[in-house]
Amino acid sequence: MATNGSPEIVGVTEAFYQAVFDTDRNRAFAVVQQALDQGISAEELVFSAVIPSMDRMIKAVSEDFNASLAQHFMTAQIASQVTDLLLSKFSQKPAVLGRVVIGTAFGDLHTLGKRIVIGCLKSLMVEVTDLGVNVSPEKFVDEAQARGAGVIAISAMMVHTARGEQGALAVRELLAQRGVEDRIKLVVGGAPFRFDPELYKVVRADAWADDGISAGRVITRFLQGEVL
Amino acid sequence: MITGMERLLAAVNGKKSDRVPVFCNLFDQGALELGVSLEEYYQRGDLVAEAQIKMRARYGYDNVWSLFYVGKEAELMGCKEILFAKDGPPNVKDFVVKEFGDIEKLVIPDDITAHPAFEEQAKCLKILKQELGGRYPICAYLTGSMTLPVLLMGMEKWMELLFWGPPELKNLLLEKTSDFFRKEIAAFRSLGADILLYSNPYGSMDVIPENFFHQESMVWMKRDLEPGGMAGVVYYCGMARLNGAIPSVIKELGIGTYYLSPFDDLAQGLELVGPQRLSCGVINDIPLIDWSKEEIRSEVKRMMEIGRRSPRFLFGTGVMPLYIPQENILTMLEAAYEYGRF
Repeated sequence: MATNGSPEIVGVTEAFYQAVFDTDRNRAFAVVQQALDQGISAEELVFSAVIPSMDRMIKAVSEDFNASLAQHFMTAQIASQVTDLLLSKFSQKPAVLGRVVIGTAFGDLHTLGKRIVIGCLKSLMVEVTDLGVNVSPEKFVDEAQARGAGVIAISAMMVHTARGEQGALAVRELLAQRGVEDRIKLVVGGAPFRFDPELYKVVRADAWADDGISAGRVITRFLQGEVL
Repeated sequence: MITGMERLLAAVNGKKSDRVPVFCNLFDQGALELGVSLEEYYQRGDLVAEAQIKMRARYGYDNVWSLFYVGKEAELMGCKEILFAKDGPPNVKDFVVKEFGDIEKLVIPDDITAHPAFEEQAKCLKILKQELGGRYPICAYLTGSMTLPVLLMGMEKWMELLFWGPPELKNLLLEKTSDFFRKEIAAFRSLGADILLYSNPYGSMDVIPENFFHQESMVWMKRDLEPGGMAGVVYYCGMARLNGAIPSVIKELGIGTYYLSPFDDLAQGLELVGPQRLSCGVINDIPLIDWSKEEIRSEVKRMMEIGRRSPRFLFGTGVMPLYIPQENILTMLEAAYEYGRF
């Protein structure tokens, strides 16, 4: 059996990272299957290969890797699908890092960014509830409270859905009214926030992420109790 | 008095007019101008034309638009439902392609000008041509074949099909959307549009990997554009950066005008486009909502100082959200007229 840091798992991790980096889904699955066949457990693969690879990818994307949107999408999907496969092989239900509810802002039907974030978070062992598109502020907060989520993530691709009265501003208002601002953080993302990096303050979010992959880092830091 | 068309033609020919041409994209603001809802406004071509004419006259910029909203193209291909907002552009609500099997059933109209969804656009264009033709350039917005599937099935499903789906299905859809594009550009040309904005985020390496751009995007862009030629065509990637694509587009397509992204390095963009072709520097107009007068003037000044180094330069805007206060639009335009003066 390979152990964390053993040559076997290091080799698997590197091969998996390269496959994800190259957005080669078949190769990523082949690497994982080969490792399973060699007797490396699903648990080890998730914690020693998938999560470190996603951490490395997040770091690369946020620092200097000039990846395209398609690469972000494919990376997140590959990591998420591999994680789903491995989770089904876990001997017992794994502990999650935290819980997040995510959706697109009221009036917004764009799903791609949300899906990238979901894929990224799932591969980091975050339990994600997808509320879908065109989500009302009440639904965001109701679901977050019902599920014990530490973060509400809102994706908005248009200026009026990012800034509108039924978007993040209304969610913030509800969080304040219900007295749960210290327990539930509000993270936003989408094109308007890239065009205006100060916009997240205007809509009273706690943080924003430049892209779906980087959102993984922002959200997991909140879930781990960091003050950003 | 000099017209917008004269300013544009001077820039096309590398000559100086009184100032740098200014292309301002006001769309949803037309409803405010006429005091009607966005939903009512976009139902009628005469209202869109009237607002375009009034806004151009009031603000003094150099172009008008025959564009309603981007989802119009989806309607021409069968979309039945558009989600209207009170404070922003409409969205496609009903995707024509709900599952991959719908691609085979997708029908591109033989004559898009006979389609009911085109009727009001044609009416708008006819009025603009009658009132401003030859004096102010009339712009049309045409989505490229590789981007049109986003309007038909959403970006998420399209990404899956594009990169991981059956190649024959992907190619079938692209053939259909490319056929649509060819018909649409021919229709707008025949109705007298002067400037044909070829909008294709999938022609930007911000959206797709570089090798994919060369191996796939370029093939479909050629198919879209070559039959009708490049006259009046402007390369635009929907606010995504295009500097990285410019050398290949010049070499392989020969497009003569480039509508840069606010995220592109403007000086580098001008250099890549070169002095023989036209560049449009585009202001990042989303922060215009909150910027102070000084911030707006400073950004316009910066852009004009770079842009005026090129003999063929335009100043342009991007999406111009409805949230931008009118006084900020005026501040931006006055600064453009002032700092763009020759």
